[in-house]
Formats: sequence, C-alpha cells, structure tokens
Amino acid sequence: MIRLEHVSKTYKGTTAALRDLSVDIAKGEFVFLVGPSGSGKSTFLRLLTKEERPDDGRIWVAGKDIAHLSSWKVPFLRRNIGCVFQDFKLLPNKNVFENVAFALEVIGRPKHVIVSQVPQILDLVGLAKKRDNLPTELSGGEQQRVSIARAFVNRPLILLADEPTGNLDPSTSEGIMRLLDRINRTGTTVLMATHDRSIVDRMRRRVIELDHGQLVRDQARGVYGVATN
Amino acid sequence: MAIKVDYVARETFSNLKRNALMTAAAVLTVAVSLALVGSALLVRQAVSRATTQWKGGVELSIFMNPDATADEISTIDRQVHDMPEVKKVTYVDHTAAYDEFVRIFRDSPEFKESIQTPDQLPPSFRVVPQKAELVDSVGQRFVNGAGVRQVVYARDTIKTILKVTRFVTTFLWIVALVALMAASLLILNTIQLAIFARRREVGVMKLVGATNWFIRVPFMMEGLIQGLIGAAAAVGLMIGLRPFVQGQLKHIQLLQQFFVTSSQVLGTGLILLVLGSVIGAAGSAVAVTRFLDV
Repeated sequence: MIRLEHVSKTYKGTTAALRDLSVDIAKGEFVFLVGPSGSGKSTFLRLLTKEERPDDGRIWVAGKDIAHLSSWKVPFLRRNIGCVFQDFKLLPNKNVFENVAFALEVIGRPKHVIVSQVPQILDLVGLAKKRDNLPTELSGGEQQRVSIARAFVNRPLILLADEPTGNLDPSTSEGIMRLLDRINRTGTTVLMATHDRSIVDRMRRRVIELDHGQLVRDQARGVYGVATN
Repeated sequence: MAIKVDYVARETFSNLKRNALMTAAAVLTVAVSLALVGSALLVRQAVSRATTQWKGGVELSIFMNPDATADEISTIDRQVHDMPEVKKVTYVDHTAAYDEFVRIFRDSPEFKESIQTPDQLPPSFRVVPQKAELVDSVGQRFVNGAGVRQVVYARDTIKTILKVTRFVTTFLWIVALVALMAASLLILNTIQLAIFARRREVGVMKLVGATNWFIRVPFMMEGLIQGLIGAAAAVGLMIGLRPFVQGQLKHIQLLQQFFVTSSQVLGTGLILLVLGSVIGAAGSAVAVTRFLDV
C-alpha cells in the first residue's frame, strides 16, 4: 500500500529531513511513526500526499509511483488518503454536518451521496446528535472526531494521522484511538505519527522509529522506546 | 470534471458579499475606466463621420474681379479644368451670384438694395480638390492670376476642430488606459483578499482532493462578474449621457455632423462588455495563479 525506496529529502539550508529511508507498509496495517521532533515524521507524511517531493528515491502509494504523477492527478491521489491533524483544521463557520459534507462536495459527489454518507459516518464517530453544532461548541475530542469523520467519509484506502491526540487529555485520546482502531478494522491502512508513549505501548502495533531522518527501528509489535529515549 | 453550477454560484456570491467594499471599489473603477474607453471610441467615430462630411465639402472659392474680362474668366476656367488635382468645378457667374445674394439677404431689404445689378457682384469658381490636403496647392496657383480678386479657403476652422478632437481622443485614451490598469490591479487585489479570507477552506479543499479548477473557478467567476458589472455600468452611463451630450452639441453650428448613431453606441457597448470581462478574468487569473498555490 505504501512503499518508500531509498528516499531522501533535504530542506533548503538545513540538515537532511530524511536520509535513505526505505519502508514497506502493507494494506490494512496499523503503523505508529515515532521519533523526536524534527526526526522527519511530518516530512514522511507530507511526501505521501505529495505536498513535498523527495530529492531522491521512489515512493509508491496505492500501487502508483507518485514521483511520476502529473500534478493534475495529485487531487485524485489525495482522494485515496484521509488526513487528520493535531489542530483538527475544521472550518469554524460550518457546523459538524457541513464540515464533513464539504469534503464530499468539493470532490463533486452528488447530493444524494452526501445526505446518505454523512449521517452514516457521524454515527460511526458517535456525533450523530451534534450534527448541527459549530466546532467552537464542541470539546477537543469531539472536534477531532469530526476531523476523522471528514477524513474517512470518502472511504480512503489510507488514513494519515499527524499527532491526532497531541492536543487531547489521556482519556479522550483513548476514545480517539479506539475510533482509529475501528477504522483500521474496516481494512483501511492507518499511519499515525505520535509522541504519545502510553498509546503506543498499549496498542502494541507495528512501530517505525525515525531519528535525524533515518530509520532506527521497525518492530512488528513494538513499544514507544526501547533503544533510545 | 464535476464542477457543479450551484456550488460555483453559491461560492461566488458569498465571496462577493463578503468583500462588498473591495468589490464596490473594483466595480466602480472598471465602470469609470470603461466609460472613458467608450467615450474615446465614440468621439473617434463621431470625428471620422464629421471629417468625411467636412472633407467631402472642403472647397475653395476663386473670386474674380467684378469687372474681369471674359478672356480672363475663360483662362482661369481652362486652367482649373486642366488640373488633375481638381475633382469638381462650378462656375458661379454674375447672375447666379446675384440670385444667391438675393436669396441670402431676402429678409434685409436695405442690404439687398445696396446691390442694384448682377454686374456689381464678382463671379467665382467653386473648386473641390481630389483630396482635402490639396486645397492649399490648388489655391496658390490662382492667387496671382489675372483678374483674380481673392482665393478663400473653407478649411482653417476644420483644421482647428480636427486638432482639438485629436487631442481630446488622445487624452481620453491615456486616462482610460491608466484607469484600466488600475481596474485590473483592483480586481487582482479583491481576488487576493477573497483567497486570503478563504485560505482555510482552500487548505481543506486541497487536503481532501478537490481539483485545482474546482478551487479556482469560483474566484475567477468573482473577477469576471466584477468586470461585467463594471462594464454594464459604463454602458448604462454612456447610453444615459448620450442625449444630453448630443443636445448640447446641436446648438453648435459647426458640430452638427458630430454625432454617433444608436448602432454605434450599441457596438461600443458590446466592446466594453467584452473588455470588462477580459479585465475581470485576467485580473483574477493572475491572482489565482500567484496566490492560490494549487
């Protein structure tokens, strides 16, 4: 599903963000991406959505070599990838329903698909009763659920989560992790960058650790830190 | 590509509303600049109509002495007829001159009585040259001819009028061009503001895989509509002001030929609408490519 071969990326005037990274992630896997700040986790994720280009190496996402993807096809690549962020990125002037519907609307889905899909996904994330609320009227955990609903409403093959629990307290985080786990069980590949040691230790999933842009650990049922930290 | 009409319409109009003040500024500038362009175009059309009229009638009169001999008259007559530059010659003899004199002064008997017989009036040749520019050279030939009293040109006034109108049109063009540039920049700026105001939405749209054109089209429509509304206002201004301007010009004898037809006004209006949409589309296209990193 995701495959990187000898990928390197350097931002101008800094040290390398990624150095000769090779990773292979199969369909349906749940993978934690861990490592200190600046270790290249975000760059990894941004390469997959083609927000960044690698200096070197090749990347396949959903069976496509994205280095040779012409720029007009990038939107269609992104329709296969749902993204969740630490800061939710919800639209403040739209209510819960509209925020989720927006994701379908702007990729040209017809109205009848929207009115059937959105309530279904809101049910899945447990926000069916809050569909008319604005984001400011929701707790952090609820906002993150809306953002997950938006990322998943189009049934993407891959879900990328960049520190989705970074702004949440431990018990709320646990709820979010249960939701991501449920999404993973539908067959969606989930790749989550995180600093949250307790979550990684509890879930016992595959862990990929980066340090200074290099792969230092790839463990099938890993914990947050063994060698370092 | 599935871009839905109702989505584009909704986004476009909510943008226009959100940016009401900037939109008004852009629309007004477009209107003023296009009104200037329109005036310049119309003045040019009126000038070309009037000058063909004037030029067709540009003539000179060679007045003979009242007592010029038949010999002198026929010499001049032959000379004029032999000139290739001359298009048309009419000889106005004593009787014809007298008839005209009587006609012109029929309401002033005391004036009429000052001339008793046709012999007292000078006969003349009315000469129309092939081209208006030749009037001078033709006239020069006869100034010192035997029996010639005076050569009169009817073109100095016209020359002045042409000079003035040329100046006016050039001035209008320059002002219009500067205003047009200002209008495009203002549209560019409004669209840039609209993009900035909606950067969150744009970010989400890119994230979930909206196509570039899907993101761009509402912004481009916004610019296009601003240009079109401005152009429509300019056309309205032109049509509204036309009767007034033409009414003023009617009172000036020399400018009677100085007018434009309704179809000319409509044609110019069409040009303005096209120009308006081009400015709007161009301004927003620049804004979209420069500030919408898609």
